[in-house]
Amino acid sequence: MKNALAIAKKELNIYFATPIAYVMFTLFVVIGSYFFLRLLGAYEQASLMYMRFNSPEMMNRLNFQDAIFRALFGNLGVILIFVVPFLTMRLVAEEKKQKTIELLYSTPVTPGQIVWGKYLAALAILVCTLTFTLLYPALVQIVAKDPNGVEWRSIFLGYAGLFLLGAAYMALGLFVSSLTESQVVAALITFVVLLMTWIIGWTAAETEGATREVVTYLSSVSHLDSFSKGTVDLKDLVYFVSICALGLFATHRAVEAHRWS
Amino acid sequence: MIEVSHLSKSYRDLKAVDDVSFQVQSGEILGFLGPNGAGKTTTMRILTGVLPPTSGTVKVSGFDVFEQPLEVKKRIGYLPENPPLYTDMTVRAYLRFVASIKGVPRKARDGEVDRVAQKTNCTQFIQRVIGNLSKGQRQRVGLAQALLGDPEVLILDEPTVGLDPAQIIEVRQLIKSLAGKHTIVLSTHILPEVTAICQKALIISQGKVVAYDTLDNLQRAHAGAATADGQTGPMPSLEEIFLKLTSA
Repeated sequence: MKNALAIAKKELNIYFATPIAYVMFTLFVVIGSYFFLRLLGAYEQASLMYMRFNSPEMMNRLNFQDAIFRALFGNLGVILIFVVPFLTMRLVAEEKKQKTIELLYSTPVTPGQIVWGKYLAALAILVCTLTFTLLYPALVQIVAKDPNGVEWRSIFLGYAGLFLLGAAYMALGLFVSSLTESQVVAALITFVVLLMTWIIGWTAAETEGATREVVTYLSSVSHLDSFSKGTVDLKDLVYFVSICALGLFATHRAVEAHRWS
Repeated sequence: MIEVSHLSKSYRDLKAVDDVSFQVQSGEILGFLGPNGAGKTTTMRILTGVLPPTSGTVKVSGFDVFEQPLEVKKRIGYLPENPPLYTDMTVRAYLRFVASIKGVPRKARDGEVDRVAQKTNCTQFIQRVIGNLSKGQRQRVGLAQALLGDPEVLILDEPTVGLDPAQIIEVRQLIKSLAGKHTIVLSTHILPEVTAICQKALIISQGKVVAYDTLDNLQRAHAGAATADGQTGPMPSLEEIFLKLTSA
């Protein structure tokens, strides 16, 4: 564990010594803010319309969680598909290319510690990225001046979902990075893999029966929805945790196998 | 201290190391010689547990590299051919990281980093980012990294590459001063280096050991034919022995 933490610390040191972390934070927040403002605008229009029709019933049904944050979390989940490949690409590929992996192999560090260390660093970056977006519910809370305006419990569950989704993406990205020496190749393949887990959900509408069930289950972003509704579904939890476990296990194998090649 | 027996390593059809055996006693410096591509680096990578051998065994301080890799790695400092440096880190951050994965306790880490930096003359650029250092400075950081944790065994792959003549002499003196306390295996193709610092030389060519003896014995064995008045012939230099053995 101590070695894993040392490696995580080193990875974070490099993330923040190079522009990559800052660029990713900025991009994530810029795109996230764009979606947030769009959703806020739509909320405003809807509430104006309901007021004009003078329908208190509709007004009661309108709430921040459903109108803004559920959609926003879905959007942020999709943005992660674009951001994660650039965060994970260098994790193992760079060590192989620069031959620094020889240092890790010749010191008393096990492959498991290497994988954990790198994954922990990736998760720390993920948490940082998501923390910036806490600004959106905070802004709504401040402007709404309504103590019951923002359902913080649902917000935090939504963030838990986003974190799990990001963690699953990071595990897949880490694995792809451990297969190649080229960071560009790692980023591209990770991007395609993550994109596939999203767009496979689109085909669900065209299928039915068991196929539909399977396709819907495979789609990564759809597992986010129950969290952003403010509930935890065991099915979704199992989905994310099993992808993380699979990614880490495969990375461990790949790192171990690299020595034998 | 280091026992290598019948070590072989093949990459598909290529035999990089072929039945190599040797021992290094505690406190000795072994010079590891051979033309490029002879298998020096491969042998060193196996010694340090980076690469698994195809067959044969390596023992360091009685621990088998393959069976108890962590025990061996705790006792070894390794400077690979290309120093394994993270170019985005500062020298100090890098050395602190290596010290921590080598198991130097947190409290002793700063002192240990300062100690090796001083020994290898890295102190004046310890705050700089490694990517901005010259080749010679990087080589010294690599050497500093190998010395961290004061390991019993040092495996140095061409430690003086890229250094200027003054630095070469400094590093040679440093390595010499480490002898006795440390067991050192050093590869090089600069032959005077071996004459200057090593007691024993191992010459390999195409993966096979062609000579393994003390420098004196090597010279005696390859001395010219005795002259008419019974004197032994001229003592050959290490260069001559090396060329004779590796050209065969």
